[in-house]
Amino acid sequence: MPNSASRTLGTPVEAGVRSPLTTSIRLKLRVPARLRNLELALVLLAIAINIAAISLVQLGAIGHLEFTAIGLDALLGVLIVALHVTLRVVAPDADPLILPIITLLNGLGIAMIYRLDLADKSYGWGSAGIRQILWTAIAVGIAIAVVIVVRNHRVLQRYRFVAMFVGIVLLLLPMLPIVGSAKNGARLWVDIGPFSFQPGELAKVALAIFFAGYLVTARDSLSMVGRRILGMRFPRARDLGPILVVFASSMLVLVFQHDLGVALLYFGLFLVMLYVATGRGSWVVLGLSMLVVGGAIASQVLSYVNGRFATWLNPFDPKIYDEQGGSYQLVQGLFGFANGGLLGTGLGRGRPDITPLANSDYIIAALGEELGLIGIFAILGLYLLFVSRGFRIAFAGQDDFGRLLGVGLSFAIALQVFVVVGGVTRVIPLTGLTTPFLAAGGSSLVANWIIAALLLRLSDTVRNQPRLIVEAAPDVGAGMVVR
Amino acid sequence: MSELTLLLLRFGFLGILWVFVFVIVFALRSDLFGPKARRLPQPAAYSAPVAPAQAPVAGPPPARREPTSSLDAKRLVIVSGSKEGLEIDLPAEQLTIGRSNESGLVIRDDYTSTHHARLLLWNDGWVIQDLDSTNGTFLDDARVIVPTHVPLNTPVKIGTTSFELRR
Repeated sequence: MPNSASRTLGTPVEAGVRSPLTTSIRLKLRVPARLRNLELALVLLAIAINIAAISLVQLGAIGHLEFTAIGLDALLGVLIVALHVTLRVVAPDADPLILPIITLLNGLGIAMIYRLDLADKSYGWGSAGIRQILWTAIAVGIAIAVVIVVRNHRVLQRYRFVAMFVGIVLLLLPMLPIVGSAKNGARLWVDIGPFSFQPGELAKVALAIFFAGYLVTARDSLSMVGRRILGMRFPRARDLGPILVVFASSMLVLVFQHDLGVALLYFGLFLVMLYVATGRGSWVVLGLSMLVVGGAIASQVLSYVNGRFATWLNPFDPKIYDEQGGSYQLVQGLFGFANGGLLGTGLGRGRPDITPLANSDYIIAALGEELGLIGIFAILGLYLLFVSRGFRIAFAGQDDFGRLLGVGLSFAIALQVFVVVGGVTRVIPLTGLTTPFLAAGGSSLVANWIIAALLLRLSDTVRNQPRLIVEAAPDVGAGMVVR
Repeated sequence: MSELTLLLLRFGFLGILWVFVFVIVFALRSDLFGPKARRLPQPAAYSAPVAPAQAPVAGPPPARREPTSSLDAKRLVIVSGSKEGLEIDLPAEQLTIGRSNESGLVIRDDYTSTHHARLLLWNDGWVIQDLDSTNGTFLDDARVIVPTHVPLNTPVKIGTTSFELRR
């Protein structure tokens, strides 16, 4: 067949035969260092801010510098630089902004937990601040391992049913008689010897992988068919199975583990991934109405959910304020915010330790008191940037599994921040989720650093594709990069 | 440590926190607003093809070729535009095209949208999908509205650039 294009346009390319020009241009010119150099500069800035935060805490709270904590924080910085070096080798095209953002968030959390230790006169290796530094070190180590072991995120799609199984086992683990344990009314922990961890946090990652893998295969039947009611296409009754299963398991978590936050997180995660996979608003309408009905029933039947609603609506009622498990904590958090005002009291200069559990559930209130509204908005801005990077990576992704996984993982972080900060600031009823990267708690740190590592891996795969840049300028050769 | 120094350090810390946030926003500015649009220089020797949206190519439609399946297409060859003659290997599943730096094929001219179109490998060959671009994607001079199969050796025009899929 005569090649019409090359005849009419007179290009040097013949079908099937490569001209010397094109073979010579098909060089792999790689400029990987640019992204990584930006990352290194930002990571070093973040580590400097972290060390400055710890120093300011010491100056504010005890009046002089004390080098054990500063040294440990600096060692942590070395480990984070090690993760950066690993990325240079195994994922040179990964997103350069994720690591600096989470380094800073994690460091601010450590500084505040350490500050609360100083207020409680808790020193040494058993104190929450030092433990948080150690857990961060473990989490960064696991993140390095994830980046090295998972060379291609599509491998995870193969293990979607393993992920489902692992997720369910992790969720059920706290219910087991010997290892499971309940703290503050919620049955979420597993105690093994001196260690206790919260397996639900890791289940979040496993379930995101499973949902992504499942929805890639099932989305056609979930999105194509259905009846049209009031301008929206609603799914058939037989396709409601998956959403009902996830809803039922969320309700089981609510009833048996007494954890509103985790139930909300899993159901919200599934709903958003379902919406992204099918592009149908009717799933959101269905899911939200299930949530409203479920929440209304739970608030009537379960006393602790009812209590959460009461403290949310009338926290300043003296009766609710004084009762056991009442609104004392919530109100103290709000007083903390008010005491901080716009500019904050300064690190180490406020009284965030008055609020119970200030270093885990209420760390946002503690930071709000000492850094003020300006500081809180910087922290929320960092979360916004992190989540937007995650969505961006998912959006630019090449395969559907990777896109869904990226959306799911970053939305899990976004929803968690909304639920915690919304609860502490009395926008929604308080639920017991951890603030990602900030709050004290090893399992949460490990899970969130794994999420960050997976997003880094995804972003490397996204950028690492054959690409050609066609500049509008007519001078051939300049501004042309073949990668 | 005097109160004044602490006060200054306190404000300095909040300042540097925001500096960090803004450095990151600055680093991804091209992501937020798209890369800077470049003026098209118009030297006499270079006659830029007519913008598709402004003047759709008139005249008799070109003779339809035999619909050849593009399942075994291996390369994407630029057949007109400033990089005429260049070629890249087709990726495994999908190639995004647009002005954005994350696209697989980055075309930077005044007529290309940030996320303009994408090529997808379906079961029976490559398909071009227009991602709601401003100036449109043209397969053999017909505007692509729904995902359309791209036969081999058929020009796809985006802005001032056309490319074909080849074996």
